[in-house]
Amino acid sequence: MTTDLVLPVLRVRGLRKHFILHNVDGRRVDALHGIDLDVLPGEHLALAGSSGAGKSTLLRCIYRTYLPSEGEVHLRLTTGHEVDLATLSDAEMAGVRGSELGYVSQFLRAEPRRGPLDIVARAGVARGMDLSDARDAAAIALKRLNIDEALWDVYATVLSGGEKQRVNLAAGTISPPRLLLLDEPVSALDPSNREAALDLIADLTSHGVGVLAVFHDLEAMERLATRVVLMADGLISAQGPPTQILSTLTGVSR
Amino acid sequence: MTSHSPMERAPWVLKVENLGKVFGPMDSGVLTETGPEIGTSKSPRTGTVVAAWDVNFEVAAGEALGVIGESGSGKSTVMRAIAGDHEASHGAVWLRTRNGDVVNVAAIPDSARRALRVDELAVVYQDAAEGLDLGVTAGGNVADRLTAAGWRNFAEIRHRAAHLLGRTEVPLERMDDIVRQFSGGMRQRVQLAKALANNPPIVLFDEPTTGLDASVAAGVLDLIRDLLTELGIAAVVVSHDFSVIEMLTTRCIVMHHGRVVEEGLTDQLLEDPLHPYSQRLVAAART
Repeated sequence: MTTDLVLPVLRVRGLRKHFILHNVDGRRVDALHGIDLDVLPGEHLALAGSSGAGKSTLLRCIYRTYLPSEGEVHLRLTTGHEVDLATLSDAEMAGVRGSELGYVSQFLRAEPRRGPLDIVARAGVARGMDLSDARDAAAIALKRLNIDEALWDVYATVLSGGEKQRVNLAAGTISPPRLLLLDEPVSALDPSNREAALDLIADLTSHGVGVLAVFHDLEAMERLATRVVLMADGLISAQGPPTQILSTLTGVSR
Repeated sequence: MTSHSPMERAPWVLKVENLGKVFGPMDSGVLTETGPEIGTSKSPRTGTVVAAWDVNFEVAAGEALGVIGESGSGKSTVMRAIAGDHEASHGAVWLRTRNGDVVNVAAIPDSARRALRVDELAVVYQDAAEGLDLGVTAGGNVADRLTAAGWRNFAEIRHRAAHLLGRTEVPLERMDDIVRQFSGGMRQRVQLAKALANNPPIVLFDEPTTGLDASVAAGVLDLIRDLLTELGIAAVVVSHDFSVIEMLTTRCIVMHHGRVVEEGLTDQLLEDPLHPYSQRLVAAART
């Protein structure tokens, strides 16, 4: 198979997002000014740029936690069909989330009163695994991310920030979707746990998952990204191989 | 549970179409004199209350749709029109029954509607007195729903009632106690057991945990959540409480002064509400 035959799993075109703050004198805030980007299967595309550049907004618009104001967000499904997530019905979007599209944020947003094993296994079931396979896979993921087995059945609310973040990552990557959106998924981890988490993320791309990620540290980007897109003020200002783009940043951000 | 590829959705089992409920004389002016832009659901000219108007949604098996809004927004009116407690003034409420028939709840005789309420559509009310006979035992309340569906064998009825009460975590030794002696949380569990007695494909929840102590409410919510996942029911959850809607539903509609002002995925409505009223509602929930 030649690379020309690999079709993008995600094609974003002319994506704009603005917010009208009705509670604050109807003020308009423009967050994205027209974003175009593609993610190929097995590609790890890192979004770089300073806070407020629109990186998280872009991820949320793709996942439809934010409703895009304008533009197209085409996702290629397992069936080979492309759908526009910007205009898909709510019910269809709910179906696409899970096995086709996943999102891991910096914070664990799990149902209350559930333990890590349950949270991760249920995420697997939501992606079509049967319960016993999902529990096995959840146990493997939690072990791999060094979550102490004594914590597997306690309510996740009592876990530390770093533990929650690892549970979140385990839930987001079990039976991984075709496209995974990551928003600072290792920001609260100490070096050894961070290592295990980055290793897990690297595995995803080697298995064909398309990843679109925001990391605040350049080192993670250098290590994982196949391509870096630099954002500023809601626009893409540069893109290219990590070495090229990140070297322009080192002087500024480090 | 059957799984469907994302683009072939499970067919709806409940479809609400242009539903309206009006109290008082109706003329064409009433609709333009009411609604969110006007800030009231009562026409100042005729005194007519447009409790709900132009409500549309579909729910498939295994899906839970939320209806959120403040008191008087019309959300309970919508629920009661679906259940047939109120007769709709306008529009249709389509149910796809288990044998594949499609019926309009809003246009069938009362007797047929009562029959639907036995085994196709159940309601869990905020006030347990609406869903239960408080003067009857827990087991008797559940048995009542079973006998209405044609169960006749006493031992089988008792066995099924015990099973349902067990599933909703009502201690077996309380099965023969009069419901009036039960706490609020326990009454809701009995209501759930009764609602689920004949495996209805559709269950409506009207503020199912409102008025309960926080810890009791949490237990009932967890139970409802597990039942919805396990049974593949099509559910409509009416609540003024975003945490209930967030926990139980994937999609929801926001009602204000009798109209739907916004609909969306539940997380989108919480993170990026577009309508001024939704923004106010979310801002209020976050304080």
